[in-house]
Amino acid sequence: MSDPVRMQLLGQIGAADHVEELRSLRDQVHEQMEALLPTRPVEQFNEQLNEVHDAVIQRSVILAEAEMARLGMGSPPVPYAYILFGSGGRKEQTLSSDQDSGVVYEDPVSDSAEVKQYFEELCKLIVFHLKKVGYPPCEGNVLSSNPEWCLSLSEWGSKLDRWFKEPAWEAVRYLLIIADGRCVYGEERLLDALKDLFFTDMLNHPIIIQRMLDNTMRHKVLLGIFGQLLKEQYGVDAGSLDIKYGAYIPMVNSIRLMSIQTGIRETATLERIRMLVKAGKMSVADAALYDQAFRLFLRLRLMTKEQRANGLYANNGKLSSRKLTKEMTDELKSSLRLGKKLQRAVFKQTMGRLK
Amino acid sequence: MVKKMMLALGALTILFPAMAFAEDPSGATLNMGLNSLWIMVSFVLVLLMQGGFILLETGSTRMKNAGHVAGKTIFTAGLATLIYWAVGYGISFGGDSALNALFGWGNFFFDPSVAAGEGENYPSTVFFLFQLAFAIVSLSIAWGGFAERAKLSSYVVFTIFFSAIIYPTVAHWIWGGGWLAEDGAQDFAGSTVVHLTGALAAFAATVLLKPRIGKFNKDGSANEILGHNQVFTALSVLLLWVGWFGFNAGSTVAIGDGFFGYVAFNTMLGAGAGGVAALLISWAVSGKADITTMLNGTLAGLVAITASCAYVAPWAAVVIGLVAGVLVFYSVKFFEKIKVDDPIYALSVHGAAGIWGTLANGIFATQALAEKVGIGQGGIIDTGSWKQLWVQFESVVVVGAFVLAVSFLVLGIMKLIMGFRVTEEQEIIGLDLSEHGAYGYPEQMKKAGQNIHS
Repeated sequence: MSDPVRMQLLGQIGAADHVEELRSLRDQVHEQMEALLPTRPVEQFNEQLNEVHDAVIQRSVILAEAEMARLGMGSPPVPYAYILFGSGGRKEQTLSSDQDSGVVYEDPVSDSAEVKQYFEELCKLIVFHLKKVGYPPCEGNVLSSNPEWCLSLSEWGSKLDRWFKEPAWEAVRYLLIIADGRCVYGEERLLDALKDLFFTDMLNHPIIIQRMLDNTMRHKVLLGIFGQLLKEQYGVDAGSLDIKYGAYIPMVNSIRLMSIQTGIRETATLERIRMLVKAGKMSVADAALYDQAFRLFLRLRLMTKEQRANGLYANNGKLSSRKLTKEMTDELKSSLRLGKKLQRAVFKQTMGRLK
Repeated sequence: MVKKMMLALGALTILFPAMAFAEDPSGATLNMGLNSLWIMVSFVLVLLMQGGFILLETGSTRMKNAGHVAGKTIFTAGLATLIYWAVGYGISFGGDSALNALFGWGNFFFDPSVAAGEGENYPSTVFFLFQLAFAIVSLSIAWGGFAERAKLSSYVVFTIFFSAIIYPTVAHWIWGGGWLAEDGAQDFAGSTVVHLTGALAAFAATVLLKPRIGKFNKDGSANEILGHNQVFTALSVLLLWVGWFGFNAGSTVAIGDGFFGYVAFNTMLGAGAGGVAALLISWAVSGKADITTMLNGTLAGLVAITASCAYVAPWAAVVIGLVAGVLVFYSVKFFEKIKVDDPIYALSVHGAAGIWGTLANGIFATQALAEKVGIGQGGIIDTGSWKQLWVQFESVVVVGAFVLAVSFLVLGIMKLIMGFRVTEEQEIIGLDLSEHGAYGYPEQMKKAGQNIHS
């Protein structure tokens, strides 16, 4: 997609009047972007793709607000931030990522029940719209339409406190999700305030890092002891590589954990790596290697098989090894070795800190 | 208490001296008695291996076939007993025929003498029972290839041919004084006779039946059809493992100088090595320490050491087991690759490991032990001679060709005349219902059925 075409599309998305129009614009984007993948640097591709996703989501929120007004529910009673978690939060959405979202709104001065209800209705609409545009809802129900993830700032505060005090595995998972949160629409300062709470709590509960480490290291890198790639053994994906959970996620998790410990608020993995260097937690040489490995994972993840089910763009994160050239396989292996090295480094660093 | 008893016994001995000094059994009689007892115990152990096969086959298959899979093992054991008594034993051990090299003739509807004769090491009754138990083990191995899709009637017909002709002929060749025995083929307890024979019958069956519905995808990739109870499968391995001491150590058919203990010792080492090697190789290659592979490896270690347990040094038993464990892992992959559906892994566990175990004699057998057993000679490592390996190779190839040919013939004709596989509907409903009219797990299956229909 040349820049003028892209700007035009972004303009059209920003001016779309209804969800169907957004959907057809998204379909157009897909056709054009798919063809573009091999032709440009993955970082640039990723950035442009996520710009489009952001634009679509922003427009969906605006359309939902308008519809609320039409339905006689008025306009937002207090300022709020619409937050993306997961790959959306990290600005690493593929052509087929699902919705992980939440809302934080300013503490209402009066009638909090009414305010709550407004946002519940609004979020239901937004999630519904986004489904129509082809974003499958998160299977773990981390969605703004889930009342647990649509809260006022002070409610979020007490929720975070609870999670930090009782770090059961689910709470730890949620805290890691919060770390990837990014404001896509609305008042950025509300999310900033939420992140302030998060990082203050982090300082007060150093033990949580241990639990985060356990959670973060759960996904194993796809590399056997002979340095061979571990492929899927059975099923229709036999012979495929689980790029998402065997390459991409382990690296995302490692970098995230280092960033949390360093107080870095950036959410994109590549930005986090840059910030880690700045903070002196990673050498420039290591960072360059990790950077390169992560770009490869991003590219391969963008190459994974897409499935379209019930009008939703879905993807199981698996890549047929037949799609890989010899050079790419070699590059993948050495990148996976780096991923393992990173995991070990994070483990050592974290355990060392705790001692 | 003990004191009083001793006192009473002492008093009685004085009163009835004849009781204490009743005529001593001769050394020969004692020897015969001990041998018989040992063979009888071994027979019971080997028969109990059927319990292992029931759990192995049921655990490795799906719930809807459980009753069928388990029940048919008992039924065919009974049927095989009758056939082997009437015909099979006579072919294996019935004495001289015009073509003695190929099969024996005589002793049909075996009518043994009630006790051991003068100079015999054991009565023929216990020998018959022991041999019968081996035939049934081989038959149960063959069922691995039938699992989850063969008609009940085909089990009946194949039991008849297998226990009357196929198994007895091979047993005669190697154990009954047939032509491979004359060549000095070493197969102490039946890596070839029992395991390879069963596995090749299973191979013929599974090829003729074609894979189970849902095993392979259109693009040729395999699906994993998980068994319904891994605890059964693990227990089955324990049961088989224990039974194997009757199988191998019992094959000395004598107490003698305690050589059976050495055979048992090697058997234990082989089994342990098989399981360890299989777990390690599955972890190293696929990144997961796979339980099924480990269980298969333990069995493969046992199968492999079966031929060589009396012929090799302990270190060699460990090596034989280790190789068997690795072999079984790759063998399973190989059969999946050539799209042969092997639900119970019989082809890999009993076939591949059976071949390896038989050949291993030609490599690891020591001259001293070969002389002790009195069959063949030492292998390459001990003697530097390739002769034994050649004989072992010959026995594998000849037995393999024979079993494959006859099994394909018998099963092929069955397939033509009476049909071999159940219908698609029956296979999907499950053989419990289609062949027997009742589920092995009524509560669970009815629940599952309701979900399907609602």
